[in-house]
Amino acid sequence: MIRRLWKVAFAEWKLMYTDPAAVLLLVVAGVLYAFYYPTPYIHQTVTKVPVAIVDMDNTAMSRDLIRMASASQQIEVKAVYSEMMQAEEAMSRDEIYGFMAIPENMEKDIRSHRQVTVNIFTHGAYVMFHGAIGTAFSTCALTLGATNKVKQIALSKKVPSAKAIAMRDPFPLSIQTLYNSTGGYANYVVPSVLVVILQQSLIIGICVLGGSRAHRRFRKKMRNSPVENETLPYRYFGRSLAYFVHYCSFILFYHCIVYNLFDFPRRGELLPMVVFSVVFLASTINLGMVVSQVFLRRESSMQLFLYLSIPILFLANFSWPSYLIPSWMVAVSYILPSTFAVPAWLSIEQMGGDIYDVAPRLYLLAVQAVVYLALGLLLTRARDKVKLDIGDM
Amino acid sequence: MLLQGFLKTVRKIYFSHNIVLWLILLVLPVGVSVFMLGLFSSQIVQHVPIGIVRQDDSYLADRLESKLRSSPVLNVKMVCHDMGECEHAVIRGDLQGFLVLPNDLERRALRFESPVIPVYSSGQNYLTNMFATKEIRAVLSAAGSEMFTAQMDDPVKTEIHSVGNVEGNYQGFLGLGLVTALFHLAAMIVGVYVASFPLRDHRVREMLGYARGSRFTLWFASVVPMNIILWLGMIGCYAYSHRLLAPLTLNEFVMTAAAQLFMILACSGAGIVFVGVVGVMRIATGAAGVIGSPAFAFAGQTFPVMAMPFAVRCFAFVLPLTHALKIQSMMLLGDLSMGPAWEVLKVLIGMALFWNLLGAILMSMRWKQFARREAEFEEKMRTAPEASA
Repeated sequence: MIRRLWKVAFAEWKLMYTDPAAVLLLVVAGVLYAFYYPTPYIHQTVTKVPVAIVDMDNTAMSRDLIRMASASQQIEVKAVYSEMMQAEEAMSRDEIYGFMAIPENMEKDIRSHRQVTVNIFTHGAYVMFHGAIGTAFSTCALTLGATNKVKQIALSKKVPSAKAIAMRDPFPLSIQTLYNSTGGYANYVVPSVLVVILQQSLIIGICVLGGSRAHRRFRKKMRNSPVENETLPYRYFGRSLAYFVHYCSFILFYHCIVYNLFDFPRRGELLPMVVFSVVFLASTINLGMVVSQVFLRRESSMQLFLYLSIPILFLANFSWPSYLIPSWMVAVSYILPSTFAVPAWLSIEQMGGDIYDVAPRLYLLAVQAVVYLALGLLLTRARDKVKLDIGDM
Repeated sequence: MLLQGFLKTVRKIYFSHNIVLWLILLVLPVGVSVFMLGLFSSQIVQHVPIGIVRQDDSYLADRLESKLRSSPVLNVKMVCHDMGECEHAVIRGDLQGFLVLPNDLERRALRFESPVIPVYSSGQNYLTNMFATKEIRAVLSAAGSEMFTAQMDDPVKTEIHSVGNVEGNYQGFLGLGLVTALFHLAAMIVGVYVASFPLRDHRVREMLGYARGSRFTLWFASVVPMNIILWLGMIGCYAYSHRLLAPLTLNEFVMTAAAQLFMILACSGAGIVFVGVVGVMRIATGAAGVIGSPAFAFAGQTFPVMAMPFAVRCFAFVLPLTHALKIQSMMLLGDLSMGPAWEVLKVLIGMALFWNLLGAILMSMRWKQFARREAEFEEKMRTAPEASA
């Protein structure tokens, strides 16, 4: 029995490596994307964002604020203007991505104990610039405010400066990032994308090779071979075995090489990694086997799934939280392995979660695998009986 | 005569029960765009689940907890017995972060010892982590300043304004870009499909026949309708996603629409070039997918192009999406950007011309080659029975 299974698996590998489209999807895509995707984010964080300051106060205090902003790591003060219009024009020319407006009479108002509002303007199209510029300018302006407030407290309450500092901020915060200590963008985005890449390339690859159906029309010369005419269970499980072993090697490749090369956190333990690989690949392969029975032409799956990659990525609960997604979309997302696989992979590999932490998601992946297995066998059986004159599958 | 040939070819390409073509030309790009905008329908991040480890049981700790609970951005989902419990909840994905209200918090605060409140965020979700930590900082700072200096205002207050996206909603930040990225990919895939299906189905001679033997007519009949349909679809989706932002003036609308048109022309032209080079729909679609699918990651809207390595910046420059997004984001700033946007539009026009001219030359050669092959095959099929007889 095992020999028959391996025979089918070897035949599928041979087909995989001799078909250029299959090689592109099942081999090249997995390797290429692993390097292609992390490369833009290799510097991890955004630093030295070009910004400007509009100084309408032009006092010693406003110059202090400019000096503070110039020393900030996240931004680079490209120009100091005296009018808002100049900064707006520079932003429209893409020379700067934000600016801080120091209001007129800032020093005078602060010294007279009147509250001053410092406005910070960021470019509305860029989320990362909005965060980086907002944080950098706010920190500078609030530090200036804090220094003055401490002076006011010390003078009005007649206390030493150390006590005034404690009175201004009685319980300071210490913010720690547990599993992405550098706050790198690549650490956050790439591991999730890698799981989606595995899923998408595997499903499209299986569809391009026709899943488990007998008499694949694009293999005209091989239609009478014993492997192609194996009984359904051997055909189904033998071909699944080929994809499973092939993609296990990809998971190992990502874990051992890609994660090391790009210095992503690598905390995965053996047991949860193995269980994850089994249930994730079982679920994805069976979904691929189901979907492959729908298409008449080999490239149709590519055309469909290329469109779906972006929504699938956003439904995986890593970028936009699932509790903010409409409930019907969450329900739709339950048919995709990535919805459970991405958070499970992040828990295991990035956060070092044990098997108990990820068990609920792995159970759901296992349920998906069983459902798709039953569907895949049924659809393949139905498809084997139908004679179609059109298409190439 | 020419017009008749053109119309007949258009009818045969686009209106002859070609379901896959209409699926990839209209249904999927529009459907997926609307789906993506629906995904961001809550617009801003709220109710981020956090936990609290309460080591202190004082009045101050109660007050801080109730202030955190009353914040709309946060959702205090768990009060943990120890840090381990909260940490496992973060690993399971139940919490995005947690904070520790340490032992003797109130006593030490009242004695001006500045007890530190540690805040731990998972770091695995950029948006929710950013919002959660900012809000925790704001809530606790406000509570702290009420303790001893309630009557004293902070000397400096900051207000952050997002120009062109006043409410900072994510349909504005990401939705617009994603719609553009989807049509960028769609134009490549449709370009590949329209150029290659006559090759795949051995219908080149038939199509040339409809076009009265003119490859020029066949080219126009293949290219013009798909670009118009994609462009109109894109304008519709863009207008839908833009409804929450400040309305565009006529000039801004014309500039944005022009950028979208030339982006679509450039991408469909590139798709046709892939077919011209490889001659097989499957491989050309794969190539379009490899370039088009991750284009959004390179185009600078999520992670800025200026922070990418030089080689990646060059690749980003070659993508029409980068320039289209640049013009769209410039138009968020108003009429002031019209001059610089025109310079970017020139690049897009150049790309559209280059890819379409190259595509036309390559496809003309392919049609000639495939028409000859089809004729040879037909001849062989015709002579084979005669020979056997």
